[in-house]
Amino acid sequence: MTEADEHMDFDLEIEPEDEGEEALETELGDPCLVVDDLHVVYRVIGGRAKKEAEKQGTEVREVEVKVPFWRKLLQAGRRHVGAVSEVHAVRGVSFTVRHGESVGIVGINGSGKSTMLRAIAGLIPPRSGSVHVSGEPSLLGVNAALMPQLSGERNIMIGGLALGLTPRQVEEKFDEVVEFAGIGDFVYLPMKTYSSGMGARLRFAISSAASPDILMIDEALATGDAAFKERSKARIEEVRARAGTIFLVSHSISTIEAMCTRVLWMHQGQLVMDGPVHEVAEAYKKFILAQRPAMDPARRRARQRKRAAEAAARRAAEEAELRAAEEAARRKAEEAERKAAEAERKAAEAERKAAEAERKAAEAAAQGPAS
Amino acid sequence: MSGSAPDQIGISRTVSTPTTDAAAPAGAAAGGSAKTPPPPLVPSTTSAERLALAKKHGLRPLNVRPPLGEYIRDLASRWAFIRVLASSTAYARNQNNYLGQLWAVLNPILNAGVYVLIFGVLLKLSRDVDNSIAFIVIGVFMYRFVEASVTGGAKSISGKTQLLRSLHFPRAVLPMSTVLSLLNTLVPAIVVMCAITLLSGFLPTYEMIHVTWWWLLLPAAVALLWVFNTGLAFLMARFVAGTPDLENVLPFVMRVVMYASGVIFPVVSKVDELEMHETARAVVGGILEYQPVAVFLYLVRSVLMQEETIPPSGLMWAIGAAWAVLFFVIGFVVFWRGEERYGRD
Repeated sequence: MTEADEHMDFDLEIEPEDEGEEALETELGDPCLVVDDLHVVYRVIGGRAKKEAEKQGTEVREVEVKVPFWRKLLQAGRRHVGAVSEVHAVRGVSFTVRHGESVGIVGINGSGKSTMLRAIAGLIPPRSGSVHVSGEPSLLGVNAALMPQLSGERNIMIGGLALGLTPRQVEEKFDEVVEFAGIGDFVYLPMKTYSSGMGARLRFAISSAASPDILMIDEALATGDAAFKERSKARIEEVRARAGTIFLVSHSISTIEAMCTRVLWMHQGQLVMDGPVHEVAEAYKKFILAQRPAMDPARRRARQRKRAAEAAARRAAEEAELRAAEEAARRKAEEAERKAAEAERKAAEAERKAAEAERKAAEAAAQGPAS
Repeated sequence: MSGSAPDQIGISRTVSTPTTDAAAPAGAAAGGSAKTPPPPLVPSTTSAERLALAKKHGLRPLNVRPPLGEYIRDLASRWAFIRVLASSTAYARNQNNYLGQLWAVLNPILNAGVYVLIFGVLLKLSRDVDNSIAFIVIGVFMYRFVEASVTGGAKSISGKTQLLRSLHFPRAVLPMSTVLSLLNTLVPAIVVMCAITLLSGFLPTYEMIHVTWWWLLLPAAVALLWVFNTGLAFLMARFVAGTPDLENVLPFVMRVVMYASGVIFPVVSKVDELEMHETARAVVGGILEYQPVAVFLYLVRSVLMQEETIPPSGLMWAIGAAWAVLFFVIGFVVFWRGEERYGRD
């Protein structure tokens, strides 16, 4: 689960630039991912969440671990000592995905979307059930391997190697990654100096550099400006054109509608709907709107206005940042040019002086024999 | 794909929309109450059919531990990753200070200073050796490498759950790069160690230490220790990933090992002063003398110092090599056996 989940409860974001766009239909190939009765159970050490969780309808149960006698003695204060709970995050999910499909996963917070995505990427071992894939699935998320103290250059190397590229391959892709991320000379500065947008763009650029067969994205597109979003969408279409498969977990239903052909709707760890994007998206939107407390039209309009203003401010800030970077680069170039001109001028002068000296010498030489 | 296959496996390829793997029509719930989500889908295929489908298309099961040979090959192909991760970690460690990478040298000097001051000068614990400064400095530097490998190895899996949940690679990369990064920081420390060892000879009451041909064996001794530490890190990573509580016990264990390994004073000579039965004393003495950490300290000291009680010994080299290989192999296999479970809880 991402941090973003904790703040947004029932949300239905509409990104204006995604409105009306649709994902490319591509020809479907053979199955490339089969998920069979997948169960994922988290072991939570240090908490007894049963009562709290039951109130909220989440499936949490305490584990009955067979403990030896001596351990039972230790567990006298069971509330705080040796507390182990289990969270049954994914409860029996089965589906098949084919080459070239673009699958969106929707669901309210805590419905097990992210956990399932990680499980089908082979990153969280399931309790039972199995996942079969062709090729190597890759979750967009090298951020965990990156080190904020080190330069973007170094981090591109680390991230690329973590994804399984060879050092030579990373060097070959270096320029492409920098260009895709659009961070310019910042790549030689430590990553902690980056704005959050720049960091996110670099991470996306690195993780998609390996061109995987199955690309899984967890809310990664939420950051970045419109231009970057456009580029990422192009990158995603590229993967699909190579008969690769996309998984996308997003809170923005319009992003899902714009990028996916099929949607899985998860609720409390189970699959409740699976079908073409429009059908599921419609049903899901209805469900979300019904969950919202009634809001009078005036307040809703005010809220929409506020959101639009916020989005505009964000975009303006990003543009300003970009412009500032460009300005700095331009000034640097001008300075360099000026210096070059100066050097040239000096060189010309020196040459002129040399010529004069030569001329004088020649004159002197001419006078010499004369006198 | 043959024409009859789709019917057998319950998936029709003729649908223009994406494959819906469920018996219930996708739109069915849309008509129902919007307040509640639709009921969970019942898959239209059975588990056996899905597995058959996966097999038919040559799909590879995830979360299955690879065979040992394949695992080793996979790990070997990630050597560049291990190296870059190690050097970056070592570099990042000192990146936030004004003095930056200078701390890689300053830190060991300060450390050695404290131990020499307390144990060498104030307590005079190492009266049995001719040059106690060299004895303590070598002991402390080498032991810190072991200790850091144990604590670092313990955290290499349990502290990186986020990384394990975002990327796919042989997990043995993490403990290996942890120890390699410690080796990176050890190199400047070893230079400091050699310098202090040599300079200590100029102090009045300490035996002079000369650079001999034996010094050439120092890299070999450090390499053996590195292999041994990597094995230790593998073991710790697996144990602590299973039982996080162990991490709280480790500092105490390491302190006991420190005093039992003769890091600061020759512990073997102290055994003779114990009041116990003759055979018991022989057993305790034997264990203290030939346990791995003591052996590696012996090797480094025998190479650098010209101490009469620590002569270069072929037997000790053989034992050291045996310990290193044994711990590495056992550690690696133990670690590999938990491979598919790392990152679960």
